[in-house]
Amino acid sequence: MQLAINIAVLAAIYALIACGYVLIYRVSRVLNLAHGELMMLSSYLLLTTASLFSGNPLIALGVAVGLSLCVGVLVYLFLMRRMTGEMVLAAVLTTVALGVLLRGLVVLIWSAQQQNPAQALGWVNYSLPVFGGRISAAGAGLIMTTALVYVGLFLFLRFTRYGIRMRAAGQNPLLAAQRGISLHVIYALAWGLSTLTGALAGILISLDSGLDSTMVLIGLKAFPAALVGGLDSLAGALIGALIIAAAEVLMIYYVDALLSDVVPFLVLILMLIVRPWGLFGTREELDRV
Amino acid sequence: MSNREPRASGYFRSSYDQGLRLVETRTQWTSLILFLAVLGIFPFVASSFQLDLANQVFLACIGSVALMLLTGYAGQVSLGHAGLIAAGAFTAGILFKEFGAKFWVTIPAAAVIGALIGLIFGLPSLRLRGLYLAVSTLALHFVVVYLGGEYETKRGFSTGIVIDVPRIGDFVLRDRKIWYFVLFAFAAAALLISLNLLRSRTGRAWAAIRSHETIAEALGIGVPAQKLLAFVISSSMTAVAGALFGYYRGFVSVEAFSLFLSIQYVAMIIIGGMGSILGAILGAVFVTLLPYAIEYAVGLLPNARSYAGMLAAFNYAAFGIVMILFLVFEPQGLVGVWRRVQNYFLLWPFKQKPLGGGRK
Amino acid sequence: MSALLQVEKLEVVYGRAITAIQGITLNANKGEIVALLGTNGAGKTTTLRAISGFLGLDDARVTEGAIHFKNENLANRPPYLITKLGIVLVPERDKVFPNLSVVENLAASVPASGADRKRLEEMTFAFFPKLAELRARTAGLLSGGERQMLALASAIVCGPELLLVDELSLGLAPVVVEDLAQRLVEIRNQLGITILLVEQNAAVALSIADRGYVLENGRVVLDGDATRLKNHPDIQEFYLGGAGERRSYRDVKQYRRSRRWYG
Ligand SMILES: Nc1ncnc2c1ncn2[C@@H]1O[C@H](COP(=O)(O)OP(=O)(O)OP(=O)(O)O)[C@@H](O)[C@H]1O
Ligand SMILES: [Mg+2]
Repeated sequence: MQLAINIAVLAAIYALIACGYVLIYRVSRVLNLAHGELMMLSSYLLLTTASLFSGNPLIALGVAVGLSLCVGVLVYLFLMRRMTGEMVLAAVLTTVALGVLLRGLVVLIWSAQQQNPAQALGWVNYSLPVFGGRISAAGAGLIMTTALVYVGLFLFLRFTRYGIRMRAAGQNPLLAAQRGISLHVIYALAWGLSTLTGALAGILISLDSGLDSTMVLIGLKAFPAALVGGLDSLAGALIGALIIAAAEVLMIYYVDALLSDVVPFLVLILMLIVRPWGLFGTREELDRV
Repeated sequence: MSNREPRASGYFRSSYDQGLRLVETRTQWTSLILFLAVLGIFPFVASSFQLDLANQVFLACIGSVALMLLTGYAGQVSLGHAGLIAAGAFTAGILFKEFGAKFWVTIPAAAVIGALIGLIFGLPSLRLRGLYLAVSTLALHFVVVYLGGEYETKRGFSTGIVIDVPRIGDFVLRDRKIWYFVLFAFAAAALLISLNLLRSRTGRAWAAIRSHETIAEALGIGVPAQKLLAFVISSSMTAVAGALFGYYRGFVSVEAFSLFLSIQYVAMIIIGGMGSILGAILGAVFVTLLPYAIEYAVGLLPNARSYAGMLAAFNYAAFGIVMILFLVFEPQGLVGVWRRVQNYFLLWPFKQKPLGGGRK
Repeated sequence: MSALLQVEKLEVVYGRAITAIQGITLNANKGEIVALLGTNGAGKTTTLRAISGFLGLDDARVTEGAIHFKNENLANRPPYLITKLGIVLVPERDKVFPNLSVVENLAASVPASGADRKRLEEMTFAFFPKLAELRARTAGLLSGGERQMLALASAIVCGPELLLVDELSLGLAPVVVEDLAQRLVEIRNQLGITILLVEQNAAVALSIADRGYVLENGRVVLDGDATRLKNHPDIQEFYLGGAGERRSYRDVKQYRRSRRWYG
C-alpha cells in the first residue's frame, strides 16, 4: 500500500511539472528545458516571501506564486520573444542557456545550502495515515493541487476564450494572427501559466523535502513523462507521469535505488523507439520539428 | 590580351581542384606555419598553469570538432556529448583497473567503444529528427552515466577510479610539457581527419543531409548509413578525447560528466559558429578559458575573498549570459565576428557591406 | 470622399529578386464588392497579403507605394493589429483550425474594437444555418464547402469593415460557389461590409461584384464596372470562353486610352 501511495505522490509531482512542458510546447513548439530551473527559482522566491511576510504563510505562498507567473511572462517578453521565428532548436538551446543562468543566479542570491521553506513558513510537515500507509501533508497537498490544476487547465482550455485561442494559436499561428489573436499575448500567457504550475510543483516539493539544486533534476525527470504521453497532450502528460512514476518506484523498490535517476530516461528511450509521438500525441508533430 | 580583361582583387578559384585543397593560398601557408611555430615555442615559455590551460583547450578541441562534424555539418543534434566523453574515460579506466591494460591498448579500445556507442546514439536518428533526436541523446547520456556510476559503486570505487600515469615504453607521460605535445598531436589528428572527411564524398553527403534529408535521399545518398557514419566517427573521436581526459586527470568519476558538460560542448559550437571547423576551435578555446577569465575578474572585485565560494555560481551565470547573447545577437558565432572584422579590414576604407558571405 | 481602401502604386518584392507586384493602384469604397481577377501567379494573393500585413512571413516587402485604410497608412503594422483595425483575410488554404470544433473556431476570433460579438455570432448562424447544425463538429472533419462557410463565418465574427476573400471557389462545386456568392451579397447588404474578392471563376465574381480589376504579371491591365468588364472582349475570351490562339491582351494601349475616358 505504501508503494501505491509513493507512486501516487511521485506521479502527482511529475504530472504537475509535465503540464508546464506541455503548455509551452503546445502553443509554440518550443521545449522549455529551463523548466526545472524556473521551478527552483519559484521555490526560492517562496523562501524570500516567507521571510518578508513572516506570520502570514498563505500570503507568502500567494505572492511567491504570483511572482512566478510574472517571471514566466518576463522570460517570454525579454528573451523568448526574440527567438520566435528562429529555428526551433535555437529556441530550445536558448532555454538551456537560461537554465544555466538561473542555476548560477539562484546560488548567488540564496547560496547553495539546503533550505527549508516549510520551516520558514512555520509549518510542520505532518505525516498522515491513509489506507494502511502514510503520506506527508505536503504529499497530500501535491496530489490535490495536481488534480485541481489539471481540472482547471482542462476547463480553461476548453471553455474560456483565451484557452480556445491558445489552442488555436498552437494549431496554426498564421491563421490565429489573421483572426486577430495577438500571438505575443498568447505565448506570454503560456509561459506565465507554465511557470505558475511549475512554481506550484516546486514549492510543494520543497515544502515536502527541502530545497536545493537537485530540484533541477526532478524537473528534468518529469520531462520524459510529458514526452511519453505525447508532448502536445495534457491527458497524455497525466498518464505519462503515472507510467514513469510507477516504473521508477517499482524499480527502486525491487531492483536498485541507483536506478532512480535513469528509469525515466529508459522509459523515454523505449517510447521513442516504439512510438516517438507519444501515447496521445499528434503524429505529424514529428515532421514539423 | 589579358590586360584588357577586368581584374578584381582577391583570391578566386579557377579549378575544382583548388576547392579541394587543404591549404590554398600563400597567405594561408604563411599563417599556418607561423601558427605552428607559435604552438611549438609556447610550451618552452609558458608557465605550468598556462600549459595546463593549453592542454585543456586541446582536449576540448577534439570534442568540439567531433560535435561540430555531427551537428554543424551532418545536422544531427546531440545533447549527449558528455555521455560519450564519459564512455571513453570509463573504457580507459575500467580496462586499466580490471586488466591493467596499457595506454596504447586503451586508447584504441576507447575509439572502438565510442564507435559502438555512437551507433547506439545514432539509431534513433534514423527515425527521429531535430528536437526528438536531441532528447533521445540526452536520455542516452543519463544511461551511460548511470552505467559508469553503477560500475563505480559495485566495484567499490565510490569516489572514482584512479588511473596510473601512462607510459609508452620508457616514456612516462607525467610532465605537462610532454602532455602538451601528445594532446597537440591528437588534436591535430582529429582536425586533419575532420577536414579530410569534409572535403571528401562523405562531407558532401552530410551537407546534403543537413540541408534537406528527402532531397539527399533522392540524390542517391544513403541517408541512414551516412547519418550513422557521422555518429560513429564523431563518437569515436569524442571517446578518445574522453580517454585522454581520464589519463590527463589521472582520475575518472561520474561527477565530471554531468549534463552541464554536454551543454558546454553545445555552447562551444554555437559560440564558435555552426558549420565551421574554425568555429569549433574558437568555441573550445573560449568556453575552456571563460571560467578562468571569470575567476580572474572576480578576483579583481573588492573583498574578493567573500566571493570565493561562489565562483561556480558566477561561472554558471556568466556562461548562461554569454550563451544567450550569442544565440540572440550573433547566431554566426565567433566565426561570424571574425569574418566581419576580416571584411572590414579587407574593404577598408570603404564601408560597404559585402554581398557574399565570405570564404570557406 | 476618399475610398475605404486605397492601394497606391504598390510594388512587392519576394526575397531580393522576385517582383511579384509592379505598381498596382486600386481602391474599394464602403459597401462595395470588388473583384480581383487574374491568371495563376498574377499576384492576387500577394496583393491580399500586402493589405493584411502578412508579407514578412514569406520574406517579402513592400518596396514602393502605400496602402491606406480609412486614411491610415498600414505600413509596419503587425497583422493582428490590422485585423483589429477591421481588415480580415480569409486565406486560400488552411482557413480553419482543424482540431477545434465549429463553435470554438468562432470563439477563437477576436472581434475588432467596438464590434458586438454576440450579435455577430448570431448573424453568422443566420447567414449559414448549416453551421448551427454542425456546432459541435470538429472543423477538420468538415467538407470543403462547410469549411469555406466556417472560414467566412469566423472572419465575420472578427467584425471586419473590409473582408478579403482569397479564392472563394477553390475546390468547390459550382452550385456551392453560387450559393456562397449569394451569401457574400447578403453579408454586404446587411452588415455594410466592403468585400475584396479574389476569384478564378470570373463569371461568378463579376455577377456579384460592383467593380473589378484584372491583374496580369503584377500589373492592373483592366478595370471598371462589373458589367463593362463582363462585356469586354478580352474578358469574354480569357475568362468566360475559350481563349483561342491569343496569349495576351489585345491591346494594352487601348486599355490605357479607355481608362482615361472612363476615369
Ligand atoms: N513565398 C513566395 N516566395 C517567392 N515568390 C512567391 C511567393 N509567393 C508567391 N510568389 C510569386 O509571386 C507571384 C504572384 O503570386 P501570387 O500567389 O500572388 O499569385 P496568385 O495571383 O494568387 O495566383 P493563384 O491564382 O495561383 O493563387 C508568382 O510569380 C509567385 O511565383
Ligand atoms: Mg493565390
